[in-house]
Amino acid sequence: MGMTGYVDFGYVTFIALGAYGMSLGITYFYQVEGLGIWIVFIGFLLALLLASLSALLEAFIALRLRGAYFAIACIGINEGLRHFIEGAKLWGGSEGLIFSGSLIQAVGRETANQLTTFWADLAVFIIAALAAFLNIHYMRSKIGYALTAVKEDEDAAKVMGVNTTKYKTIAFLTSGLLGASVGAVAWGLKLGYVFPGDVFVIHYTVECIVVVLLGGAGTLLGPVVGGLIYGLSKYWLAIIWPGFQLLIFAPIIIIIIVLFPEGVVGMLKNRVRGTALERYLL
Amino acid sequence: MSLLRLENVTKRFGGLLAVNNVSLELASGELIAIVGPNGAGKTTLFNVISGVFFPEEGKVIFEDRDITRLPAYRRAPLGLGRTFQIPRPFGSATVRENVAIGAMFGTLGSRINVDESLEMADRYIDLVGLQPHREKLAGNLTPVEKKMVEIARALAMKPKLLLMDEAMAGMNPKDIDYMVDLLIRIKEKEKIAIVAMVEHIMRAVAGLAKRVVVMHQGATFVDGPTADVLSDPRVIEVYLGGPSEKSKKDLVTNQTS
Ligand SMILES: Nc1ncnc2c1ncn2[C@@H]1O[C@H](COP(=O)(O)OP(=O)(O)O)[C@@H](O)[C@H]1O
Ligand SMILES: [Mg+2]
Repeated sequence: MGMTGYVDFGYVTFIALGAYGMSLGITYFYQVEGLGIWIVFIGFLLALLLASLSALLEAFIALRLRGAYFAIACIGINEGLRHFIEGAKLWGGSEGLIFSGSLIQAVGRETANQLTTFWADLAVFIIAALAAFLNIHYMRSKIGYALTAVKEDEDAAKVMGVNTTKYKTIAFLTSGLLGASVGAVAWGLKLGYVFPGDVFVIHYTVECIVVVLLGGAGTLLGPVVGGLIYGLSKYWLAIIWPGFQLLIFAPIIIIIIVLFPEGVVGMLKNRVRGTALERYLL
Repeated sequence: MSLLRLENVTKRFGGLLAVNNVSLELASGELIAIVGPNGAGKTTLFNVISGVFFPEEGKVIFEDRDITRLPAYRRAPLGLGRTFQIPRPFGSATVRENVAIGAMFGTLGSRINVDESLEMADRYIDLVGLQPHREKLAGNLTPVEKKMVEIARALAMKPKLLLMDEAMAGMNPKDIDYMVDLLIRIKEKEKIAIVAMVEHIMRAVAGLAKRVVVMHQGATFVDGPTADVLSDPRVIEVYLGGPSEKSKKDLVTNQTS
C-alpha cells in the first residue's frame, strides 16, 4: 500500500489469499452442523491468517531485497504460489473452488444473496473506513513518521534510531490484513468462486498497480480509495452495462490518471498542504 | 572515561583494507577534525562507528559499552548521531518533520511524544538558522540547506557524540565560516562531542579543532594538536602527493599563517 514503498507489489498476493481464505472457509465448513452464517466469519479469519503469514514472509524478503529485486521477488512468490496450488492440487488445484452452492446450502438462498450483495458491499465500506481510521492513527503516531523515514531512506532511518525491521513488519501486516479483507469480501464472497489463474495472473498485478496509481502511490489511503473507485465502478458497470464495462473503463482510467498524475489522494494532499487536514492524507 | 574508544578496528571490502587497524579515543565534549585524501577510509570509519557496517576485527566501545556488533538503530538511542557525506534528509517530509524524527527516535526515545518532538524540532531549526524553511519539503532545499537539516535532525536526537561526514564539502568560503562557527557553538551549547570530517579544507581545520587526526590508506597515521599536525612533514607529503591543487594551496596558506 505504498506505506514503505515496498508493499505495493505484495498487494496482489494479499488480495488473492484473502479470496482463498474466504473460499476455503465456506468450502470446508459448510456441512458442519450449527455453524450456519459463521462459516463466513471462519472464511474471513482464514483470509486474515493466510495474509498474515504471507505478509511476514514478504516483510522478511523486504529486509533483504530492495527496489526492483523486491518487486521481482513478489511476482515470484505470486507465480510460485499459483503453480504450487495448481501443481500440488491444493485447495482444488487449477479447478479452483466454487462455493456459491455451498454457501446457499449452509445459509439458504435468500441469506446467501444478501451476503454476496448488500453485506459484501457494506463490508468493503467498513474496511475502507477502518483503513482511513488506521491511516489517521498511524499518521498521528510515531509509526507514521517512522514509515516515512523507512520509505525515504532506510540507512538514514536506521542511524536515526528507527527500528526498520519492526516498522516494515507493521506496514506489511497492516497492508496484508487490509488487502486480505478486501480480497475475502470483494473477490471471494461476492463472486462465489476462486480460480488460481484468476487471482494470481500478472494481469491482476497490473490491475493492482492501476489501483495504486489511481489512488495515489506512496499514500496510505491511496490504494484503498483507488481500490474502491476501481472495484465498485467495475462491478456496477458490469451490472448496468454488461459486456461493455472494460471498454468504458479503459478510457475512464486513462482520463483519471492524466488528470490526477499523483492519484486522487495525492491530488487532495497537494491541495491541503499546509492546512490542518494535511496530516490525514499521507 | 572516554566517550568513544576504537580498538584496532579493521574493515575490509573484499581484498581492500578500507580501515586498517585504527585505534582512537575521544573524550566527552571534545571536538576533533578528521582529514585525509579521498579514499582514505574516513566514511568507512564513520560507518563502522554508527553501525552501518560491522568491522572484521577490533572493538568499538561507547561509554564503556562494547557496541561493535550492535545494530545501528540501537546505537542512536545511546547517543550516537551522524550526518552523511551526501546529505540525506527525508525529501518528502518537511524540515520540521525531519528534525522531529530525530527527536522521536533518538536518546529521548519513548519518553517523548509526537507533539513534543515537533516543538523540540523548532529549537534546533532555529539553532541552524533554517526558520524560513521550517514548513518546506526537505527535498526542495539547496545542498547546503539540506546539510543544515541533517545537522538539526542529528542534534534533535540529543546525542553525546555527533559524527559529521564531509562537514564542509562543496561549500563556499562564507558557508565554511558559518559552519565552523556553528559547530563551535553547538559544542559549547549542547555539550556534545563532535568528530567533523573535513576532506580538503585545511583552512577550516585550524579554526575548528584543537586536535586533528589524519587518515591515509585506511590508517590514522598522525593524531595530535592541530598546529603540530599541520606542520608535520608526513602530512604535507600526503597532501602534496594528493590529487587536489587546492588542498596544496590551502595547506601552504595554513603553514605560513
Ligand atoms: N560499500 C563499499 N564497498 C566496497 N568498497 C568500498 C565501500 N565503501 C568504501 N569502499 C572503498 O573503501 C575505501 C575507503 O573509502 P571511504 O571510506 O569512502 O573513503 P573516504 O571517505 O576517506 O573518501 C575506498 O577505496 C572505497 O572505494
Ligand atoms: Mg567519504
